[in-house]
Amino acid sequence: MLEIRNLTKVYDDGTVALKNVSFGVPDGEFLVVIGLSGSGKSTLLRCINRLIDPTEGEILWDGVDLAQLKGEELRMTRRKIGMIFQHFNLVKRSQVLTNVLSGRLGYTSTRRSLVGRFSKEDIDKAWVALKRLGIEDQALKRADELSGGQQQRVGVARALMQEPSMILADEPVASLDPVLAHSILQYLEMLNQEDKMTIICSLHYLDLVQRYSTRVIGLRDGEIVYEGSRADIQAMSDEEFKDIYGEEAERVGSGLEGALKVDEGGAA
Amino acid sequence: MNDKMNLNHKAENIRKPSWVPVPLAALFSLIIPGLGQIFARSIRRGILLFFSYATILGLLVWRFILAAPRDEGFADIVKKGWHLDPFLIIITILFILLHLWIVYDAYLLAKHRDRTPLSVFFVILVVFFALGWQIGQIDLVNMVTQADEALPALSRIAWPWIKAIEYDEDEIRAVANIEVPCPEDHDPPAANEVGNDPVIVTDLTCGILKEQDGTLGTILRLEGHNFIPGVDVNIMWADPINNEFRQRQGGEYVILIPDENGYFEFDIEMPYRLLPPSANEPTYIWELFALQIAAVGDAHLSQDFILVVEKMIETIFIGMMATFFGVIFALPVSFFAARNLMSASPVTLVIYYLVRGVLNIIRSIEPIIWAISAVIVVGLGPFAGILALVFHSIAALGKLYSEAIESIDPGPIEAIHATGANWVQTVIYAVIPQIIPPFVSFTIYRWDINVRMSTIIGLVGGGGIGFLLVQFIRILDYRSAGMCVWFIAITVAILDYVSAEIRARFV
Repeated sequence: MLEIRNLTKVYDDGTVALKNVSFGVPDGEFLVVIGLSGSGKSTLLRCINRLIDPTEGEILWDGVDLAQLKGEELRMTRRKIGMIFQHFNLVKRSQVLTNVLSGRLGYTSTRRSLVGRFSKEDIDKAWVALKRLGIEDQALKRADELSGGQQQRVGVARALMQEPSMILADEPVASLDPVLAHSILQYLEMLNQEDKMTIICSLHYLDLVQRYSTRVIGLRDGEIVYEGSRADIQAMSDEEFKDIYGEEAERVGSGLEGALKVDEGGAA
Repeated sequence: MNDKMNLNHKAENIRKPSWVPVPLAALFSLIIPGLGQIFARSIRRGILLFFSYATILGLLVWRFILAAPRDEGFADIVKKGWHLDPFLIIITILFILLHLWIVYDAYLLAKHRDRTPLSVFFVILVVFFALGWQIGQIDLVNMVTQADEALPALSRIAWPWIKAIEYDEDEIRAVANIEVPCPEDHDPPAANEVGNDPVIVTDLTCGILKEQDGTLGTILRLEGHNFIPGVDVNIMWADPINNEFRQRQGGEYVILIPDENGYFEFDIEMPYRLLPPSANEPTYIWELFALQIAAVGDAHLSQDFILVVEKMIETIFIGMMATFFGVIFALPVSFFAARNLMSASPVTLVIYYLVRGVLNIIRSIEPIIWAISAVIVVGLGPFAGILALVFHSIAALGKLYSEAIESIDPGPIEAIHATGANWVQTVIYAVIPQIIPPFVSFTIYRWDINVRMSTIIGLVGGGGIGFLLVQFIRILDYRSAGMCVWFIAITVAILDYVSAEIRARFV
């Protein structure tokens, strides 16, 4: 159970990114955060794993306030929170396998990582993760030789390596085309349903939100302006969505899902 | 497009009218070029024209004085200048044309306030071009007609390999003793006998020297046997005090070429020699000898060739060592010169600007200047060259490295951080993989540059092949210089290729 209480973030330049945000996320939920660019989605996600330090408020995860953690404790907690990024954030010139293995760094001693030695189990684990995402044949290529969809799958594999109980996904499909967007989100759904991981994901497109989320919160100017269950979202019309979201909202286009099932895990 | 043109037209139309009547503007510009334009209310244009005109006038006066430095008076100088350098006539005409054109420009400007004539600037350009031609002493005629004079030097540089091989030389020296003058109380020396060795034989073994007053010396019939066929033989004398000198006849040194049997013959007139007053013995023995320098044994690489190769190796290592030290110093420096690392606080930002400033200053001073300074400190030789290149390399690499650090993608750092990795792990897995390839690439590129530059550094005493090259040029040994040029070209080409290959693999 993750509980955010009165979370506020003010940047050094005075920008207020989050205003008194409070919500709860039960374990095993697929929570989607919607909102315009600059509405505070990224800041919210990064506050949870403390890539950004919140100005005020509490982030209670199973009773521990993440906002108060420091040093080693923080690192230990971060290991359990995987993160997926819009621009994949892979080390482009390193091998795919190395990128995936870097997900294990939190579990590896500094001395071992200095010489670049990961344990046999870690390497086996990396191959399993790559296989699960259907990219084991790309493992020895450089990360930047892969297509966008493949790179994001490497990103997911890296997060998987942490054996996380929660995954934060910051607009994971915003740089991908609709087919690939579904494919990546299906992996997240799989992790959510099979591995019972909590997913907190920011998204742009209504049909993706309707298809994958179990709950939705809407942010505008750093404040929560909408909160709805799966049923609420299914019933939501485009007009309502735009009302919360702003004029930029659009559908990716339905009818792609059927084709995707066949293509699952295939070439990106 | 149309709108824009209309707008322009409008802007021209609202230009205020001239302050003075049209003829007056022209007259002003006739007196002081540019003044008319100023009075026609085109002030900036007038100032520009005036200074252009003044500059051209100044340059022209300088060229005339340079052409006729000993003349005085305006007319004399101009006449002499025209006479010595006819091109000055053309410039003078152009100059007068420019003056008139500025007058015409003032007239146009005062009359039509809606137009902006540009022709005067074209005339200014032409005058500057003509001046440049004269100042640059461009002489196309000479360039074409005397081009063939460069051929001997060029052909030696282009194909210098004759000097790359040489043979061991053997000096064959055959002597015949001649007594001067013929003795009265004893026999003159016996003539040599012909055997299997090279030998010269004269019909007489004594005689008198040529006198100062023109009395002819004795003519000796000289025969040579068993010399190497086809190779020059010098005929020389050694006088009683062992001064050696070459036999000269008819104004030319005597050089004989033996026939296929190694035989030659020649009539030698005994030379003129002033005997010192102390020479009061009745007779002296003079040695007549034939000198043949012959190649023996197999061809082997010449001294010069070996020297060139040695110096080439030295050059490559100068470049290598300079790069090596440059990298060692540039690495730490580059972190202080990276803005993204140093913008955290005002103090670090000051350090950043300081380091950047120093690097820029060092880099803007040519390595050849550094080499001259280094030669003063550590003396001639490769170490001076290394020092000079190290300085320049630190500055250049420091800048390139710091730019590579600045262009790091923060995304992977964030991602690795998010996995729970500590600071050291983040640097190893997110920062270093990003900077290694550009660092390697820049380093190899720098090595390439340093090897090329070390040849230039050598010219001012920084060791290596440049040092050798400039010495060969000074003694007009174009063949050896040509070998240097060839080796430099080959090395640079190979290095260019290798460094491009390595860089392609790393980036």
